[in-house]
Amino acid sequence: MNLYEFEGKQLFAKHGILTPKGVVARRGDDYAAKYRELGLPEVVAKAQVLSGKRGKNNGIRFCSSAEEVRAACEDLFAMQIRGQLVAAVLIEEKLAISEEHYISITYDTNKKQPVMIYSQDGGMDIEAVPEEKIDKTWLDIRGAELPPSIGESLWQCFLAEDTRLAEINPLVKTTDGRWVAADAKVALDDDAFYRHKEWETLEPRTLLGRLPTEREVAVKKIDEGEGYYRGTAGKYIEMDGDMAILFSGGGASIANMDALLKAGLEPANYTEYSGNPPREKVYQLAKIVLSKPGLHGLWIAGGVANFTNVAETFQGIADALDEVKPTYPIVVRRAGPNEGEGMRLMRDCAERNGLTMKLFGKDTSMGETAVTLATLVKEKAYASAP
Amino acid sequence: MSILITAATKVLVQGMTGKEGQKATRAMLDYGTDVICGVTPNKGGQEVEGRPVFNSIAEAQQNFPGINTTAIYVPPFAAKAAILEAVESGIKTINVIVERIPIQDTAYCLAAAKERGARIVGPSSLGYISPGVGRIGVVGGPLVGEIFAPGSIGVISRSGGMTNEVSWQIRQAGLGQSTAVHVGGDLLMGMTYADLLRLFEKDEQTKAVVIFGEHGGSYEFEIVDAIKNKEYTKPLAIYIGGKFANVLPEGMNIGHAGAIVERGKGAAEKEAALATVGVMVAERYEDLVSLIMAYG
Repeated sequence: MNLYEFEGKQLFAKHGILTPKGVVARRGDDYAAKYRELGLPEVVAKAQVLSGKRGKNNGIRFCSSAEEVRAACEDLFAMQIRGQLVAAVLIEEKLAISEEHYISITYDTNKKQPVMIYSQDGGMDIEAVPEEKIDKTWLDIRGAELPPSIGESLWQCFLAEDTRLAEINPLVKTTDGRWVAADAKVALDDDAFYRHKEWETLEPRTLLGRLPTEREVAVKKIDEGEGYYRGTAGKYIEMDGDMAILFSGGGASIANMDALLKAGLEPANYTEYSGNPPREKVYQLAKIVLSKPGLHGLWIAGGVANFTNVAETFQGIADALDEVKPTYPIVVRRAGPNEGEGMRLMRDCAERNGLTMKLFGKDTSMGETAVTLATLVKEKAYASAP
Repeated sequence: MSILITAATKVLVQGMTGKEGQKATRAMLDYGTDVICGVTPNKGGQEVEGRPVFNSIAEAQQNFPGINTTAIYVPPFAAKAAILEAVESGIKTINVIVERIPIQDTAYCLAAAKERGARIVGPSSLGYISPGVGRIGVVGGPLVGEIFAPGSIGVISRSGGMTNEVSWQIRQAGLGQSTAVHVGGDLLMGMTYADLLRLFEKDEQTKAVVIFGEHGGSYEFEIVDAIKNKEYTKPLAIYIGGKFANVLPEGMNIGHAGAIVERGKGAAEKEAALATVGVMVAERYEDLVSLIMAYG
């Protein structure tokens, strides 16, 4: 999960890294009052978004009065920055900058260990800094010891807070000689959720340039609580198309999204369940996937499962189909443990509800069934045309 | 021959008494794999599928000094301790099925394994199989006999389901597999594509290799180097899923933890780099087999 700048700075501050004084303004707040609350004459108003290049996109404003802050906030909240929703505006102390440096820690996937990246040339994209001006230090995850420094504090933050990325750009040296984290880019490791209860209080977010939809928020809840490790069924990205998607298996889902587009269809969502989730979880997921208005087809597809019980997971989908009774075409492709019973459950479900459903096993490839769905959808469109 | 597993492979199952551990034990025994015993702390003295369970690996090794492979079936919060116990016990081949291990714990274990010369397949790996020799984990599931048969094609996949799916396509085409390995979909992986290709290079049974890859990460670029350095010289066909991901914002991951959308490192860029060193790139995963047919 990516953090907003103000959240990242809270983590930095916790580990002894200086950050500018600031207040967070939310959409609809009294922005001028926020300025007075901060109590500093010269401030910066910074749009809070989940990706970078904010400065270049006019997401940072310098202000010297309550009125300027009010106008800047109004303006920033009306913007999207590189497709990102502005979730908040951070109003903070304007630093007297003498130097701008860069420092970050992340995982080097090829060396499979953390790497600290430092450059004296900060304030711009690190990709734009020439290689010879960048220092890289690979750190021993089993207890690299660094001298007391910003880097050491960042390392402690990186480990203790289970981040995948902790970046300060720019790391500012002020004219009075203080080192201050003027920005914060932090990505948390979602897999460490179980040991960070405090993450539960973070507000919902999506990188998709809008607030998370009701369906996205609802699906996420499926994997929370005691069922957390009983398979995964909590993935749903709402998209613009009209083909409902219920994929099983991470790899199959990626290949199938490619195949769907190739067949000329547009996904209404991206959804994938895996790891042998129980009937109840799949039912909840399917119910939400089918609740989207304007659907014209449903593709239920997965590869040859290793240990996911096809019968049990399909029972969950059948439960949802029994309630929703879609009138659009449905194509199913799946194989694996208890596939015979799973297919029978689906066939029975189609019969008792009068559904248009085609079923395929492993003898037909997943990609071919996308083409079948496209044909059925087209036929249905012709048939219902005036 | 085969890679990673031979007739001499003697397997320990960590977390044998758990539900998934029991299932895996049965799956391996059914396929003729020599599962010797299991370990679950505080459950020593029990039996699973007629195999004894010990409290620790040290205890298991006292009774069965020949253990050379371990398959780890424990909850994510216990994974680090279990992997480190295996590494410190001197076991050299470790399969980690555990999903959703914090990346920090994975990095820690990989560093320890590297120091001790142990190889880790995973995390998030359902295992690997050499048809006719044995399987580690549950690869193939109950349909294993239909999907897998001894043959000349090596299979590497980021996805467990797609390990089967691609192997099935190979089987349908009348070919068989030498070894099929599910490397797992995490951001940090133990054995990488390049590591496995080096093993397949030395394996006489393997005539060609197919890979199911995904957008995200940079492990595919290691293949380019391995080929340039002549560490791998056999025919190779690859499919890299996730071309659609270009429409998604950077930093988002889908499907697997490692499948992160990154500009400049997407499916298309990886394919272009691989094509320059002669790797056959499949447009759809179904095409992998037709690309490799002539070499099997």
